[in-house]
Amino acid sequence: MMTYKVSYVVIGGEHPGAIVNEFERPKVGGQVQIGKNTFEIVEIFEVMPPRDDFAFLHATVKPVENVHEAEK
Amino acid sequence: MVLLDLWKTVGLFSGLSEEQLQRLIAISQEEIFNEGDIICEQGAEGDKLYFISEGQVEIRIRKTPQSPERSQVYLGRGQIFGEMALLDLGKRSATVRCSRGHTVLRSITGDAFTELCSTDTAIGYIIMRNMAIDMSFKLRHRNLDLGAGSQ
Repeated sequence: MMTYKVSYVVIGGEHPGAIVNEFERPKVGGQVQIGKNTFEIVEIFEVMPPRDDFAFLHATVKPVENVHEAEK
Repeated sequence: MVLLDLWKTVGLFSGLSEEQLQRLIAISQEEIFNEGDIICEQGAEGDKLYFISEGQVEIRIRKTPQSPERSQVYLGRGQIFGEMALLDLGKRSATVRCSRGHTVLRSITGDAFTELCSTDTAIGYIIMRNMAIDMSFKLRHRNLDLGAGSQ
């Protein structure tokens, strides 16, 4: 089983992002929760070549607007 | 997921045989934390390496004793922390705070880790190589994060 070690970097640099192992390859448009916030993936690329059963990915993400807040 | 299968998905243990993994599992302890718990504090003595089985932690750093603590990165399942103090015997370089309820960690003490690596140098070599890869990945994350801040 492939494990995807993913570096999530948030656009704008206000949030420190995260490093997480995923068991499915993340996709552009997918969402990830970091701390208490939810982010949408806008870009993914391989940051280091795969080794054994591990792939090393970088994902750029942007905050998902809180729908309930936007409706107010 | 059973413990052995979980350990196979941790980069630190990549390349180890099942028998070698069992030896590591035997010297590890499970520790469970709740949101807001402080797992280790910057400046404190550190004698354990941790990896995250489940949940998420936040790494926070205070640049000077007077400056506010700032979040550096969140680490999720499969990630390790505490390895620096284990390698260089220095004090903890960051405060680690549990950021998700029921976060499950496995810890290995420095003494147990050093003894195992000394008696089985093949395990020691593989783990040290994987630790270097992990540090490289964290550094790349940091560089990309700094780049994102300047956009």
